[in-house]
Amino acid sequence: MGAAFTTPHISFENVEVKYSDIVYGLRGASLRIDAGEFVFLTGLSGAGKSTLLKLVTKEVRPTSGRVFLNGRDISHAPPRHIPGIRRQMGIVPQDFALLPRKRVFENIAYAMRAVGHTRREVRERVPEILQRVHIAHRADAFPHELSGGEQQRVAIGRALVNDPPLLLADEPTGNLDPGHSWEIMELLKELNRNGATVVVASHDMMVVDRMSERIVTLDQGRIVGDQLPAASLQELLPLEVAAVVTIEEKVTVRMEDARH
Amino acid sequence: MRVIDRLEFVISEALTALSRNRLMTLAAVTTVAGALFLFGGLGYAYYRLSHYADTIPGKFRMLVYLRDEATRADVEKTAQQIRKLPGVASVAWIPKDKAWERWKQEHQTGLTEGIDNPLPEGFRVLLTDLKQSDQVVASIKAIPMVAPENGVKYMADEANFVEGLLTAMRFFGMVVGGLFFLVAGVLIYNAIRLTVLSRRLEIRIMQLVGSSRLTVYVPFLIEGMLQGIMGAAVAGGLVVGSYFGFGWLVTNHVPIPYTPAPFPYAYVFALLAGAGALYGVMCSMLAIRAPLKYR
Repeated sequence: MGAAFTTPHISFENVEVKYSDIVYGLRGASLRIDAGEFVFLTGLSGAGKSTLLKLVTKEVRPTSGRVFLNGRDISHAPPRHIPGIRRQMGIVPQDFALLPRKRVFENIAYAMRAVGHTRREVRERVPEILQRVHIAHRADAFPHELSGGEQQRVAIGRALVNDPPLLLADEPTGNLDPGHSWEIMELLKELNRNGATVVVASHDMMVVDRMSERIVTLDQGRIVGDQLPAASLQELLPLEVAAVVTIEEKVTVRMEDARH
Repeated sequence: MRVIDRLEFVISEALTALSRNRLMTLAAVTTVAGALFLFGGLGYAYYRLSHYADTIPGKFRMLVYLRDEATRADVEKTAQQIRKLPGVASVAWIPKDKAWERWKQEHQTGLTEGIDNPLPEGFRVLLTDLKQSDQVVASIKAIPMVAPENGVKYMADEANFVEGLLTAMRFFGMVVGGLFFLVAGVLIYNAIRLTVLSRRLEIRIMQLVGSSRLTVYVPFLIEGMLQGIMGAAVAGGLVVGSYFGFGWLVTNHVPIPYTPAPFPYAYVFALLAGAGALYGVMCSMLAIRAPLKYR
């Protein structure tokens, strides 16, 4: 069954974000992301990648157009609804945002306590989360004792405290060397395989290309490309066309073309 | 269990904030203490003084005491003589038995047991014209049945003095206490703002993972409240200290009989703590309104 018939996890309908009279974050962007997808948002700095993510996290309000999360219009959700919306997603910031005076375990525990989990729940769940992000062996380390990749794992672990079905990562490899970048992407991919929808804003094209996932390209606030992973393209395109498409090929298709 | 866990989390967050901002906390607590000391201390002194003022005759009143041997007939005769004086509006008899009962009730000390009533018969005289007060005093003193020493108690000067003192205390309390409160408010506001700044990473994490707004706000409100309560505790100590210091000073250096009234510790401390806590919370609310908006 085509994705178009199910409720998308996230969708943007002709969204415009104006920061000032002359500065636009987005200019009429429309996009649909289905549950379980892994999507890269790429483009130059200022293209609108982070703005798209911030519309979902409610850090930015659209000037016009609508944003839906699980079919619910969150475009103008009042501030009192924001905590509830945030608990439906895990947010991974570029700068890790780890508490320097707390150990790895405590960093995750703090986030859990902050959303209302009891000490007992924390004791039970934190080791499990650390296992999921493969950092359990450094549970007693302070952030400054960790590599960049390890710090990002902790940040991803913290994003999992609500067990969210959606992960949003803004330049998660921005501060990492290629080796660690790849580790983080592998981890995000693993979480995606376990059912989470993952949306990553990145301009690290080396990593993006290597991942073979859906790539949404933005330029000056407009979505200018939506390249599906080659495997999906084979499902979408007519049989005779799919025959000539291989996994390794990079085919950029306008979003509208891919959907119809 | 979950509620206790919640409380423990927000209180520990507030205590962490207090310990991180020691210097600013100290400044805020000290100023709150100063303000509450002025309000609380002066308030209490004002209360005591106004209570005392009620017990002394006013400018239009004088007390007249008769000799110890005065009989009921002497009382009636003297009352008539005083009533006839020009400038006198009324004369009310203060029977010595009733006066003695009242004194015992007010002072409630075992020292009066077994002692015969030492008070004389007396009158409360109201004047119509202050200009004639000296004349009235002289005429009353001339009545033979009026006690020769301290037979007339007319304390216009004292009444004026106490009234002036009360006015000064009101003014001083309002202006200086008000200023202190304003400064204390600014300091609490700044202390909370600094805490917000020093804890911006924790706040960001809370907001990233979707902590409820109460969880984000409450530690800062508790911090302000604790600053207010700590200031109140210091102020309470100062008020008690001043009270007993004043008592000691009067007892040892001023040749007048002075019996300190029992100090209402619980009442004063509760009142100061309540005022401090309320003020601290109000200042904190102002301080966190903008910077803690979910973003």
